[in-house]
Amino acid sequence: MKDKKTEKSDTNRRNFLKLGLMSSVTAVAGVSLVNNFAEDEVKKSSGEKMRLLTPDGKIVEVDADNINKYPEALITPAESRKGIPNRKFVMVIDLAKCKNARNCVESCQKAHKLDYHEEFMKVQLIQDNEQASPYWFPKPCFHCDEPPCVTVCPTGATFKRDDGIVLVDNDRCIGCKFCVTSCPYSARQFNWGHKDKFDDKSQPYSPETSVPAAEGTVMKCDFCPDMLRQGELPHCAKACPMGVIYFGDKNEDLVTNGEETVRFSQLINDRGGYRHLEHLGTKPNVYYLPAVNRQFPLERGFDVDEEIIERYKDVPYVQKLKKEGKI
Amino acid sequence: MDHIIKRKKELVKEFSPMLASFSLTSKVWIGFLIAVIALGLYAFVLQILNGHEVTGMRDNVVWGIYIINFIFFVCLSYSGAFIAGILHFFKTPWKNSVLRIVEIITVLSIIIGPIFILLCIGRLDRLHYLFIYPRIQSPITWDIIAIMTDLIGCFIYLYLTFIPDFAILRDNCENVPNWRKKLYKFLAIGYQDTPTQREKLHKITRTMSAMIIAMAIVAYSVLAWIFSLTVQPGWNSSIFAPYFIVAGLYSGVGVIIISMYLIRKYFKLEHYIRKIHFIGAGIILLVISLLFGYFTFSEYFSRWFSHKVHDINLLNTLFNKYFWVFIFANYIGVLVPIVILFFKKFRTIKSITFAAVIGVVGLWFNRYLIVVPTLETPYLPIQDTRPEFMEYSATWIEWSLSFAGVAAFVLFFMLLMRLVPIIPMSAIIDYEREQNRKPKMSTQNQK
Amino acid sequence: MKTTFFRYSVLILLTGFLINTNSLAQENDANNYKMLFKFKTVKQHDNSRLLEVSFIGQNKEDRKDKIPVYEAEIKFYNILSDDEVLLGAAKTNKEGIASIILPVDQSYLSDEDGFINFTAKFEGSDALDEEEEEILIKDLFLELNLAEIDSVKTVLVKANLKDSLGVETPVAELDIIISVGGMLSKMKLEEDTLEDGEFEFKFPTDLQGDVDGNVTVYAIIDDHDEFGNVVQKQTIKWGIFNKETSKVSNTLWSEAAPIWMYIVLTILLVGVWSNYIYTIINLLKIRKEGKQLELNTEN
Repeated sequence: MKDKKTEKSDTNRRNFLKLGLMSSVTAVAGVSLVNNFAEDEVKKSSGEKMRLLTPDGKIVEVDADNINKYPEALITPAESRKGIPNRKFVMVIDLAKCKNARNCVESCQKAHKLDYHEEFMKVQLIQDNEQASPYWFPKPCFHCDEPPCVTVCPTGATFKRDDGIVLVDNDRCIGCKFCVTSCPYSARQFNWGHKDKFDDKSQPYSPETSVPAAEGTVMKCDFCPDMLRQGELPHCAKACPMGVIYFGDKNEDLVTNGEETVRFSQLINDRGGYRHLEHLGTKPNVYYLPAVNRQFPLERGFDVDEEIIERYKDVPYVQKLKKEGKI
Repeated sequence: MDHIIKRKKELVKEFSPMLASFSLTSKVWIGFLIAVIALGLYAFVLQILNGHEVTGMRDNVVWGIYIINFIFFVCLSYSGAFIAGILHFFKTPWKNSVLRIVEIITVLSIIIGPIFILLCIGRLDRLHYLFIYPRIQSPITWDIIAIMTDLIGCFIYLYLTFIPDFAILRDNCENVPNWRKKLYKFLAIGYQDTPTQREKLHKITRTMSAMIIAMAIVAYSVLAWIFSLTVQPGWNSSIFAPYFIVAGLYSGVGVIIISMYLIRKYFKLEHYIRKIHFIGAGIILLVISLLFGYFTFSEYFSRWFSHKVHDINLLNTLFNKYFWVFIFANYIGVLVPIVILFFKKFRTIKSITFAAVIGVVGLWFNRYLIVVPTLETPYLPIQDTRPEFMEYSATWIEWSLSFAGVAAFVLFFMLLMRLVPIIPMSAIIDYEREQNRKPKMSTQNQK
Repeated sequence: MKTTFFRYSVLILLTGFLINTNSLAQENDANNYKMLFKFKTVKQHDNSRLLEVSFIGQNKEDRKDKIPVYEAEIKFYNILSDDEVLLGAAKTNKEGIASIILPVDQSYLSDEDGFINFTAKFEGSDALDEEEEEILIKDLFLELNLAEIDSVKTVLVKANLKDSLGVETPVAELDIIISVGGMLSKMKLEEDTLEDGEFEFKFPTDLQGDVDGNVTVYAIIDDHDEFGNVVQKQTIKWGIFNKETSKVSNTLWSEAAPIWMYIVLTILLVGVWSNYIYTIINLLKIRKEGKQLELNTEN
């Protein structure tokens, strides 16, 4: 009798323990599951977040101060047609230092909320002829002084400002793509279909930020006037680890790449600065310094995704490397 | 005067079966055309809902089949206007048979052509910006002004030629449903064929014809300038405007021949549309195809000879990727009509129509070779891996909309022919009146 | 029973924690971070002094992962042996920077050699350690004068130490940088050494300046052991900027088109549309005549 009782109480205890353990384990797992999913939700629904460390040692995420300090700093489409007064912006790209790090491409994409394949700043590999040496060629929009794209726009959606910058007004563009066909540097892109990022209303639209983009309209590099208004370099110039991109004001005759500031006229004079496709008469505002006395061998630039190397398959140098099995 | 009234009655009797006929074949035809148009509308709705992603156009080749169709139809229209204007000044009897066909082609293609441009526009909800914020430095603004002006002009011109026929039909229709009677009465605007009315009508038709010829030339140039005023290799050519005029006339005469053939066959109008029309049109087609071949040759020859880098890149694309298209458009499309039309032996009605078909299709491909290869070989090389960004291939949506456009053209043509006879009765009466006034100088070339 | 139960609990625990490692990888606490506490001082051009602390955590494994510390209270002291004068306190902002500005007439406790001890302290918390850093500097007065001497544009720099009575002592040797300011950055004109408290520099005559011809000249002492950072600036109209008064208008790419385009367009359109109107007027006349005839025949 006693055995049966103890047996029964033993079983009861065992069952109770089992139940307790199972329920607590499930609770812990459930809570952690819920935690994770809740956190993911918070991350998805919010805008730009930054991580900060509180004095209590906890890491929190708060809304990042919008770098453009909206809404106070909003430049409406109508205001964006007048430029920053008394400036003539110019960019100088030093081809001798470029090693295809693609920081410029990526930081521009991040700042303008672009997808992987949408590139305002493209890095091409140019080899002018079979004997010539190939060079990495970062190519933003050149913001030409006699822009063929502005001439052909039927509604005035793209315009040239007094400070030299050529912008696109997404609210006015009807998507006829005439400007895309008339740019000889292929600097413009078109939004072919609807993307979710177009519905992001957290930031009011300004042609100076090109965010949010709109379906059926044209977009391109904008020289980041929102950064310029705060005395900051455009994202590509800031991000370049080699200091390849110099940016400045022709009126002041100063350009800077973030580390050094030099006189624009002196830089062009000493280093033989030139413009691309000068004979077309577009008068671009991006000058290039020839790829002489290079800082790095060209092969360093092939340290990127295979898909990106595949883009350059028509360059004779790349074909030679492929034949030699080096890529 | 009595014999004129009698003559009118005769003509109406002769042509009225054409107006009322709804035979089985025509019903089947209309059904088929409506089906094609419906498919096109479905494709259009898909494009509106999903954006231009559903087409084959991407960031380098941003202009594709829609623009090609646009140029094709608009060039057709301008050529029709040009020919109609010129024909008006001839006083021969054979012009009567083709005049209305030409005018209808003109008006219909200028309605269908701009629809294709609308398909290519990314934001149709902002179309009115073209009129609120126009920039007159843009060739597109000029094109819009030219097309709209031309559309209204050709419409008015067509209507002017319809008025006397509406009057004849209004006076002589007994077995016709009531709504038709009312329609004719309304459209004839009280034209009673009095001498003063007739004179006024002839005067304004004359000035309109002269105006239409001038407008066609200006509108052609404006259309060509959309391409030739850019800096792109293959487009920046000085002879683009004359080239477009010649090419447009080529397609225009070709389409006229094809419609003459079809109308003659289905409506049994062998009496009015005779072999001489075909031979005349054929000779014009021969001359124009020679001119067209000459212009095309000068374009490509000078580029090949001076072998500038970007021209050579373009020619490489043309001769490698588009080799067969190039051969068809610029060799077969030119040489076959020349061979057929050059030798008297080969000039039969059927062969001339065949030459016209080859010519028209070849010209469409010629337009393709103007628009697309230039966009595929820009100054700075396309360095991309996505195939749809490197080359252009049209999707079914674009093709179905193209065929829907052609089907709409044919359908409206057929419907218009039910409204008014395709041979202008008033023109026949006018001609006979002229002849009776000068009996000694009657030069009736029957066959 | 036992084994299945055991298996079940292990499974739940594993799945729970496996999914949970997501958030763990996010580093929800500061254990993996090394604290960088940097303190600097800048004597600004109006002779006020800026004390700035940068308090940032750097991931021990991924050195590029930096998180600023936010709302940490930093206290700034001026210390002389046992005297601790609290100069001010500030909380770090979202970039981890806390700063205070001390006015010109602020008095400091300095030791016999003239060095002022500035100390910045972070009290510390449960999770973060106490941080402290001190700077020992002398209060330097930098004077920048721009004058045209014998029609040569000259930059004159004077560096002096002032003692409690206001007596000026020139500094023997000092590295100084003269630069000119632009919209986005400063361009270095000259990097040289100041001797006996004075330095003269011939200003280049071909600098553009801004649109009004103004140049802002900076004299900067950069991170000196004895003096910290000192900045002095002056603006003067020595730029040779020639403002181009040619405003681009009525071109192909401007808002207003070339005048001749307007003229040609108007002529063409007026010509064509007047013809249309003429046609329509005549059509209306025809209609009127037709109506007349109808009335007549009816009568």
